[in-house]
Amino acid sequence: MGSDEPYDRCVSRRRALKGAGAAVTAGVVGLSGCVGDDGGDSGSGSVDPLADELTVWHAMGGQLGETLDQIAADFQDEADIEVTMQFQDSYEDVLQNTISGFDSGEMADMLQVDSLFAQQVLDTGEIRPVETILPDDFDTDDFLDNVTDFFVIDDELASMPFNNSNAIMYINRDAFAEAGLDPDDPPSTIADVRAASETLVGEGVTDYGITWPNHVWFVEHWYSLEGELMTDAENGHTGDPSQFRAPDAVTDLYDWWRGMEEDGLYTNPGIEAWGEATSLFVEGNCAMLLTSTASVAGLIADSEFEVDAVPYPTISETRVGPVIGGASFYVPEGFSEDRYDEIGQLLEFMADPSVQVDWHKGTGYYPITESSLEELRSENWFEENPNYETALNQLRNGDASDPATKRILLGPARQVQTTVQDQSVDIIGSSDLEGSIDDMQEQATAELEDYYG
Amino acid sequence: MLGLIQYPARLLRATKRQTAALALPDRRDLETIGLHLLLVGSVLLIVFPILVAAIVSTKQTGIVTSLADLVPGGHVVENYRTVLVDYQFGRFMWNSFLMATVIVIGKLALSIFAATAIVYYDLPYKDLLFLFILFTLLLPVPVRFIPLFQLVADMGWTNSMLAITVPYLASATTVFILRQHFLSIPSSIVETAKLDGVGPLKFMAFVLLPMSKGILVGVSVIMFVFAWNQYLWPLVIINAEADQVAQVGLALLEGDVVGGEVSWSLVMAGSMLTLLPPLLLLILFRKPLLRAFVIQQK
Amino acid sequence: MSSREIYTDRRTAGLLLLPTILVSLVFLYYPAARAARRALYSSQLGLDDEFVGFENFAELLTSGGYRSRLLLTVGFAAVVVAGVMAVALLLTFLVHEVGTGKSIYLVAAIWPYALPPAVAALVFIFLVHPTLGVLSGPLATLGVDLDWFADGRQAFVVVTVAAIWKQIGYNVIFMIASMNNIPETLTETARLDGVGRLRRLLWVYVPIMTPTLFFLVILNTIYAFFGTFAFIDIMTGGGPSGATNILIFDLYQEAFDFFNWGLASAKSVVLFAVVGVLMYVQFRLTDKYSHYGA
Repeated sequence: MGSDEPYDRCVSRRRALKGAGAAVTAGVVGLSGCVGDDGGDSGSGSVDPLADELTVWHAMGGQLGETLDQIAADFQDEADIEVTMQFQDSYEDVLQNTISGFDSGEMADMLQVDSLFAQQVLDTGEIRPVETILPDDFDTDDFLDNVTDFFVIDDELASMPFNNSNAIMYINRDAFAEAGLDPDDPPSTIADVRAASETLVGEGVTDYGITWPNHVWFVEHWYSLEGELMTDAENGHTGDPSQFRAPDAVTDLYDWWRGMEEDGLYTNPGIEAWGEATSLFVEGNCAMLLTSTASVAGLIADSEFEVDAVPYPTISETRVGPVIGGASFYVPEGFSEDRYDEIGQLLEFMADPSVQVDWHKGTGYYPITESSLEELRSENWFEENPNYETALNQLRNGDASDPATKRILLGPARQVQTTVQDQSVDIIGSSDLEGSIDDMQEQATAELEDYYG
Repeated sequence: MLGLIQYPARLLRATKRQTAALALPDRRDLETIGLHLLLVGSVLLIVFPILVAAIVSTKQTGIVTSLADLVPGGHVVENYRTVLVDYQFGRFMWNSFLMATVIVIGKLALSIFAATAIVYYDLPYKDLLFLFILFTLLLPVPVRFIPLFQLVADMGWTNSMLAITVPYLASATTVFILRQHFLSIPSSIVETAKLDGVGPLKFMAFVLLPMSKGILVGVSVIMFVFAWNQYLWPLVIINAEADQVAQVGLALLEGDVVGGEVSWSLVMAGSMLTLLPPLLLLILFRKPLLRAFVIQQK
Repeated sequence: MSSREIYTDRRTAGLLLLPTILVSLVFLYYPAARAARRALYSSQLGLDDEFVGFENFAELLTSGGYRSRLLLTVGFAAVVVAGVMAVALLLTFLVHEVGTGKSIYLVAAIWPYALPPAVAALVFIFLVHPTLGVLSGPLATLGVDLDWFADGRQAFVVVTVAAIWKQIGYNVIFMIASMNNIPETLTETARLDGVGRLRRLLWVYVPIMTPTLFFLVILNTIYAFFGTFAFIDIMTGGGPSGATNILIFDLYQEAFDFFNWGLASAKSVVLFAVVGVLMYVQFRLTDKYSHYGA
């Protein structure tokens, strides 16, 4: 789109406008000018770095953020290049700042983008594929196959995968034992989860059975484990999707979810309320938690009881595989070549096996290169810390060739996400299950039509 | 407006009335006590959330699950230091302070100029000009922040002090308040100035400003509080951490809590810090502030 | 009045007015015009811009979601305005009636004016946090089970109360001035007639204060529509399930979450119309009720 003639005109005007003196001209010229400039998605525009040192926008709060800071400090020692890690509150905020950063022409050097928003960031047309930035001797084949499958676009590694995770279930072993349940035989389907919850609550061990943040990611997991696509065109990977799907399994899912809510076996921590859900588990209000594998380290450290990480519960006995995604680092187009050289060094450093191993151990995100996996295996890490292997096994046991395991890649991803999250609350509070699910499907489909139609 | 400074006279009268009505002392006394009780109760209710915040900001973790836990803790210095230094609140507050100060001074200067021109100059289409300024009341930040964002971004001002100050400098409210005030300055004084042949700058500096001290202090406080409390615009236009203001910094801090990593006591410490500057100004300058407000309504 | 116009040099006058006019033009009028123009385009991240005429507005009119958010906002504003004014009126009256300690009480009543909305929002989250809140326990014993991260109605109430709390001070400032201006003789007459305090407030004071109260209705409405953004953004993010998604937040989301600039611009035009109507009403009412000296 950047080649559109009006765009180019606007870009040059935008450049001309930099500086305070031009304000008046803007007032006069702007009214008669083109509208396209407003979006700012203007092809290969010039962007300025946010600061002299390299800046990374990320969404890793607390301990994860500290681990990132440590990586930056280590890199600084090794390469003598200064790096600032800037915490941006959430992936949603990183996305906002990325889009508006392109508009204003001031960008961080690396952007940690949730795979859910990959399409939006690519849509700006101002991304330089990391493969062209990385040093020539960098071996992209070292990444696990399921990982590269998602992040390679047009035969090029578009962004640098870094923190990859899937959702798993955590159980409070002590609570299970106290309720007379066998912690070594954890629930594997949602029906099992209900049975266990009934026992836990019935025995008065915990207030609720289970909780998880109301985030589209969990719904995506249920779709993909069931082998169901969320939209046509293979979740947006093979073309323009036009239809949000709600197969029968989804009715089963919401029927279960609503029943759990009605019977007080599940508690809703709120939309995108990751911390809430975690604290409900840690404080013993719930004995089961669905959340990211990235919480392994934190949950084990914070809980006063024994925690087990087990596979995600499925809707039926079918277990195709979890959605593959996670966040990766994108690099904006438009900096000087010297700068890309520095960025390339940092990217390479972050994919280094020893950094990946530390990152995995400090967080629970699974290692994404074969060599880091080798290293962990050689020191018997997984035998000693089986909880860290759950997500990895879930990933490797999954059928990565099934298109349902590829995460949605949609232009209006944020809209669809919001719709699913909002409507989920409505569905579990509704007396008309089918009707509410239809509403969700219609609304999400309308979002797709608005965008692609 | 005068009503505000009439308390002493009223109090005197009230006392007189009470001595005169000695026949019913009990009822009056009871009523007075009742009034005080009601007032203390309502005031406490209004202050309660901030009291809780203040107490929590001194505790270690800030987990307060019952009213009985509301006892100050011993982590005052530690908490406030952590917030100011580790979580960069010192930086955020400084940015906010700078922003508010620039806005106050800039707005004041621009508005004094404009109001002087409107009141003391014989100009054609003066009413139209005044309307042009007043009409901007219809355009608060929320209805134009999207195009404003594009504009300011196009000018390359993102993450700069210019972005969070210059767009605020034209103030219909301040021009209006000053105009009202200038109109209340007796024209005899003005005419004397004219007879003496005083130029407009001197007139502003030596006649208008000295006669407007109170109102200038009042509007300055209004403008400072307004600027300090801005949230939406800095949220949109500032995305570099080092340039962020306290209001948005506070929301960032809360993000850390929801992530389960920071304790609430730190967020409350940040809240107290963010509240302090405008609160102090309000308490110190309440009288001119009240007067400035009242003139606005007329 | 004309005797005040002691200067005639138009160039100086122009220079004095220039900064204000320039800033108004560039940062107020121009962006507004730009929004109005852009509202006529379909302009979304990832898609080419396209002139669509009034299609964005048509979409807003026919969208059930937008209509319900509009209704929600009107409801929210009504509750906030009524709530804050009732509380502030009573509080002002108490301060007005009390003898000793009046100025201290006054400060204690107006201080929330200085309260930053972000602070108010955070402190309130903490107070009534479903699992950690100080008040959650006591409220539970009263039979109120706080669950406002999931329960839309509760979320609405919590946000409303927080928004009211912050706005009390501002209202008291205007009300006390207005109440103090009421002639002492009227109060005296009412007393002699044996009119009780509350009835004196409602039947004697309130009618006299009408212009101020109208003025405040408008200011509070504008506050509820726009000034409460921080509360929504920090406390609920418009949720759960859109229960607190008022128009200003909806607009922000359209622009900075969905990057749908065309539709967002149409939404700002709608909000502009809302402010316009409110200001017009205020102007007419002020004209009618007070001696507008301009």
